[in-house]
Amino acid sequence: MKRYAYYMSCINESMTKELDRSIDFWQKDLGLEFVKLHEGTCCGGSNLDYVSPKHFALVNARNIALAEKMGLDLIVSCNTCLMTIRTAKKKLDETPALKKEVNDILKKEGLEYRGTSEVRHLLWVLVDDVGLDAIKAKVTVPLKNYRIAPFYGCHILRPSTVLGRDNPLAPSSLDQLIEALGGQTIPYEHKNRCCGFHTLLVAEEESLNVAAEALEEAISAKADFIVTPCPLCHTVLDGYQSKALKQAHIESSIPVFHISEMVGLALGYTAKQLGIKRHIVV
Amino acid sequence: MTETIDQHQEGKRDVTFRVFRFNPQVDSKPYFDDYTISAERGITVLRSLNYIKEHVDATLSFRAFCQAGICGSCGMRVNGISKLACTSQVWEELDKCREPGIIKVEPLRSLPMIKDLIVDMDPLVDKMKHYSNWIDSTMPLAEMGKKEFLVSEEEFHRYDKATDCILCASCVSECSILRANKEYVSPAVLLKSYRMNVDSRDSIHDVRLAELVKDHGVWDCTHCYRCQESCVKSIPIMEAIHAIREDALECRGPKDTSGAKHAEAFMEDIEKKGKLVEATLPIRTNGMVWTLRNLLPMAVKMIVKRRTPPPPPLVKSAKGIKIFRVMFREMTEHVKQDHQKTHKK
Repeated sequence: MKRYAYYMSCINESMTKELDRSIDFWQKDLGLEFVKLHEGTCCGGSNLDYVSPKHFALVNARNIALAEKMGLDLIVSCNTCLMTIRTAKKKLDETPALKKEVNDILKKEGLEYRGTSEVRHLLWVLVDDVGLDAIKAKVTVPLKNYRIAPFYGCHILRPSTVLGRDNPLAPSSLDQLIEALGGQTIPYEHKNRCCGFHTLLVAEEESLNVAAEALEEAISAKADFIVTPCPLCHTVLDGYQSKALKQAHIESSIPVFHISEMVGLALGYTAKQLGIKRHIVV
Repeated sequence: MTETIDQHQEGKRDVTFRVFRFNPQVDSKPYFDDYTISAERGITVLRSLNYIKEHVDATLSFRAFCQAGICGSCGMRVNGISKLACTSQVWEELDKCREPGIIKVEPLRSLPMIKDLIVDMDPLVDKMKHYSNWIDSTMPLAEMGKKEFLVSEEEFHRYDKATDCILCASCVSECSILRANKEYVSPAVLLKSYRMNVDSRDSIHDVRLAELVKDHGVWDCTHCYRCQESCVKSIPIMEAIHAIREDALECRGPKDTSGAKHAEAFMEDIEKKGKLVEATLPIRTNGMVWTLRNLLPMAVKMIVKRRTPPPPPLVKSAKGIKIFRVMFREMTEHVKQDHQKTHKK
């Protein structure tokens, strides 16, 4: 059994609860144990870093230190949380004065940020730790009749100086996972593009244009569904889908899955169990 | 001997350049022309285009000048990515081709087309002017040439990297928001504004900042990092964008734009609960009227599907929130002290 500390993203405790719940079905099947970090706090969502760079360093040093205390790597299933926490880690590791300042405060909780735990995405654990062959061996319902559009999203790829797992121009980890589960990936120009999430409340029209482009390509390519490793991308592509497509004058729709649901389906769990019916587009 | 010839041949390959063509005076729509040439190892995309223009098709149009990655004239999309043709190696591009052996060359995106690979840079220049991206000196005219400006090393490092920009517009072409709305300020302009705003010799910081926080300005950036990733000079453009936001919050407070209010809400929620209170985020960002008008139909769908974020009282605080708050507030004191120190300087 491979053990990890599991970071609970705010959105997975509110709008996309099905993401975490579906992991619970199959984690043991794949020899994984995710220990939920109930003490973890919001990473700052790619905003706190400029509102207050020092608070940003503190909260994320603490998030990582909680995992370090258990001697485990920190696993994240939201792209933006991943990028944000890794950005903080890089800053802390490169700035000894900041690390010291933060650690002096963290002492109050008996914590210390040492920089010993890695911060990684759920997708990377599946592809790199469990391995494609081991996943293939566990598949009971291959996704062989499905044409799947892999939408990576931004913050699992860029900035590559912080992420570095996939080639940001030609990512492949999600494609490999889809194929290991028996699905067929489609060539998808928008695979490494943006969903528009971070400006939804500030520049809605622009955000929806960005989302509509990604949706339109998957629809035109006759994909059966889009899959994304990020709950924020999911929220735009699923929740805001009808609004985005309406703005772009497109009359169609396409389901959007979390990777945790796609894995669950191939491992034999039902759409109902996995919470797929809770999506806006089904 | 044979070995030498083989090695020589290995250093040469037939490569097809599939080049975007469009002459608005003649063509009703754009098309692609294929040019197959023998390309040696080490040759750049720009040298190949020059060869094509000289020996195959003199009508092919593109901009180029220094051939050394300094002038920024030959920005174009090679195999779908905005970059400089003069620093792009043909043999490296061959590994990135969608169709084997065919390198696709297209003009930059999000700028008006003039002909073939040439785009109109005027919209970018106009934005540079709109945001007053020059130094308006703090030194009175009478003292000019008589006194010198002293710039500290610390200050220089703040804009050193930003001055590497050669205005090639690769970031402009890759920007997600500009693609969605041509009015958007664009990354190169934000980078330049940042560079001017942190320069102590400049006197119009406040005027520039007031313009940057308006619609289509700094708050419309969607943090996709495509600009930074495509920068031919590896400038951390997003850091500059974040720095403008930080400066705007410090100098103008969170009240004047929805972007600023949105960002501040994260700080408030983390201090209070350790978790984001998503249910009220739209209201705190844009007010009740906007929220009802824009999000009500979607909220209804979400209620039906039981995926609405919980109302504030039901958002569970992170475990250990009490001690977390103490630490968070201690950091607030540190930040206050830092500010005092900077202002004393």
